[in-house]
Amino acid sequence: METIYQSNHRKIAAVLSVIPGFGQLYNRQYVKGILFFILAASFFVIFGDLLDIGLWGIVTLGTQVPRDHSIFLLVQGILSLIVIVFGLGFFAFNLYDAYKNGQKRDLGLRLNTLREQYRTLVDSGFPYLMISPGFILLVFVVIFPIIFVVLLAFTNYDLYHSPPAKLVDWVGFQNFVELVNLDLWRKTFINVLAWTIVWTFGATTLQIALGIFLAILVNQKDLKGKAIIRTIFILPWAVPAFVSILIFSGMFNESFGVINKTILAAFGIDSIPWMTDPFWTKVALILIQSWIGFPFIFTMTTGVLQAIPDELYEAATVDGATAWQKFTKITLPLVLYAVAPILITQYTFNFNNFNIIYLFNSGGPAVSGQNAGATDILISWIYRLTMTSAQYSKAAAITLLLSLFVMTVALWQFRKTKSFKEEDMM
Amino acid sequence: MDKNTIIRFEHVTKQYDDDPPVLDDVSFEIERGKFYTLLGPSGCGKTTILRLIAGFTEPTEGNIYFNGKVINNVPPNQRQVNTVFQDYALFPHLNVFENVAFGLRIKKMKESEIEVKVKEALRFVNLEGYENREINEMSGGQRQRVAIARAIVNEPEVLLLDEPLSALDLKLRTEMQYELRELQRRLGITFIFVTHDQEEALAMSDEIFVLNKGKIQQSGTPTDIYDEPINRFVAEFIGESNIVPGKMIKDFLVEFAGKQFECVDQGFHPNEPVEIVIRPEDLEITKRDHGKLQVRVDSLLFRGVHYEICCYDQDGNEWLVHSTKKVGVGDEIGLHFDPEAIHVMRLGETEEEFEKRLGAYHEVNHEK
Repeated sequence: METIYQSNHRKIAAVLSVIPGFGQLYNRQYVKGILFFILAASFFVIFGDLLDIGLWGIVTLGTQVPRDHSIFLLVQGILSLIVIVFGLGFFAFNLYDAYKNGQKRDLGLRLNTLREQYRTLVDSGFPYLMISPGFILLVFVVIFPIIFVVLLAFTNYDLYHSPPAKLVDWVGFQNFVELVNLDLWRKTFINVLAWTIVWTFGATTLQIALGIFLAILVNQKDLKGKAIIRTIFILPWAVPAFVSILIFSGMFNESFGVINKTILAAFGIDSIPWMTDPFWTKVALILIQSWIGFPFIFTMTTGVLQAIPDELYEAATVDGATAWQKFTKITLPLVLYAVAPILITQYTFNFNNFNIIYLFNSGGPAVSGQNAGATDILISWIYRLTMTSAQYSKAAAITLLLSLFVMTVALWQFRKTKSFKEEDMM
Repeated sequence: MDKNTIIRFEHVTKQYDDDPPVLDDVSFEIERGKFYTLLGPSGCGKTTILRLIAGFTEPTEGNIYFNGKVINNVPPNQRQVNTVFQDYALFPHLNVFENVAFGLRIKKMKESEIEVKVKEALRFVNLEGYENREINEMSGGQRQRVAIARAIVNEPEVLLLDEPLSALDLKLRTEMQYELRELQRRLGITFIFVTHDQEEALAMSDEIFVLNKGKIQQSGTPTDIYDEPINRFVAEFIGESNIVPGKMIKDFLVEFAGKQFECVDQGFHPNEPVEIVIRPEDLEITKRDHGKLQVRVDSLLFRGVHYEICCYDQDGNEWLVHSTKKVGVGDEIGLHFDPEAIHVMRLGETEEEFEKRLGAYHEVNHEK
């Protein structure tokens, strides 16, 4: 259906609104028009300087030492960008509002009075009003740092290019190219990535397998004292992870630790270099993570197991299924379907499990020919680059790669999981 | 033993710990190719009988015979029996085809053979073309059929159904009653159906076992049980009934509600106290003076097919009448009934004695 307009107010109002408020004035909504104009004017008055410096700063990152501090300029630049986005949002709303009200006039409809406008604003705008403080906070606390890191990855900000003594420059993809081209970086990157993957799959899979195995074991019908056994198995969860890690760090100490001195000695086994040999450190880390991580899986699996009706097993018995077949064809698939989404979060958690790596051996032992420790995973390597060797731009570049990697895997996995699609499995 | 007998319980008792027995010295026989129903309130032991036949539990005392062999300790999968569970017990992670194929895969049957058998089983329950559906995409009635297909694909001689219709809504339940009955006829195997719903039992069965407190109260065809309940429990459990105390004056003459009536029952001691059953639909409303009994209408409920009218006689006995005639509350009306409508129950009679007396009565009737 084609609407027949009696006049052309909507277009005139929209064009006039290029100067905010004028379209509204044209629509004879004087208070609103004046309000819009004042808002727009104050925007330029208040943010004029910031936008001026910020936009210049983010392009050049400073031209003169020590007057210009590149990183401060970068920050101001990002803030300017955010302010501009908000401003454009307001401008777009102003155009839309002028056009809509113009259209109403064209159709011969009455415009809302100021009182009515106030009512609609309060009624329909209330949710927006309520979420806006949180939203604005989010923009500065989350989105701002993300933009900062993304931009940092394309600069040469490191120990030798540090303000205020030196300026920082835009270098394009140089950081990413160097990660691949320079021997030191390539070797480190590949080693750290390889261990990160081994660590993620090794530690997580082991803790999941242990949790499920123990849950099924404890869930056996004729087992006595289930409650006490379950309580004991959940205890490692009750101890804060960092406390467990620090205690284990002490226990694994090569010269004084109880593991070498007492436990292994009791079996007549020589001391194992838990802290100085890369292989043994990795083994220790995976064992400790299994210890810390299994109670959660254990608890969850126990819940799922108790929800599986006995009739399913009876039905399988009628068909002649053995205990092993019942386990592989009923218990395991049902448990896995129910807990799959949570298992994925376990993998992503360990992928970024900074605590245990850093607290157990600070990513060590050191390895020659690379700038990360033998047990550094990507996240702890980034920490090391930022906090100890001031390789800010490289750290930012690696962070970008890591985020891309995690996002891709998480998205792909979640979409693939059956329980993502079907929630009422049981 | 009759060679048509497929399952026989011989003095079977099932007891857990020191609790009173769930089944108390139960003996019965089940014939090939019939539709049996175990009917009783919850806790009467009907499911226990099913689990004993299926092999999920063993009798404390007595023997269970299958095709003439004792099977007390035979594991479930070696019995020619399959079960349809109350909540279907379908595997939620497998689709329809894999659910039905589960047992065949356990038996390591060839893939081509599995395909043929599963398709055939699904055709039997009218689920062709649903092979790739997920279980949670199926309605209750469809899940029910999958459960049946999964049971019959193993070609059991006896199919046990544990209240399989209780989770369905009324309309679907009625439809499934017809379908189950029809399926049993087509398959020609024995169905043992457990339910607490007497209508279901009457509609579907060749033979009903009415159970209470671990004992079989009465067994017989639906009409036998409905028309000639052995005791108060059966009379009340199956259908609605008016039960009043009475006295057997002599053969064919019974006294209740202060009057003597002609009846068709005999074989009692003179002046023996008895209980009288008259079904509400056998009572006919007449004018006050034409009726055999005079009663006052207490309440009236419209049930759709009939009015349910509750009346009291001058002795205070309650009389429930099903009639299509409408009467006013407080009206004095008469109730008419035929001598055949009166069923006399001896107090505390066992099933054996009951059968014997009934047999004698039939013979006498025959001679007449």
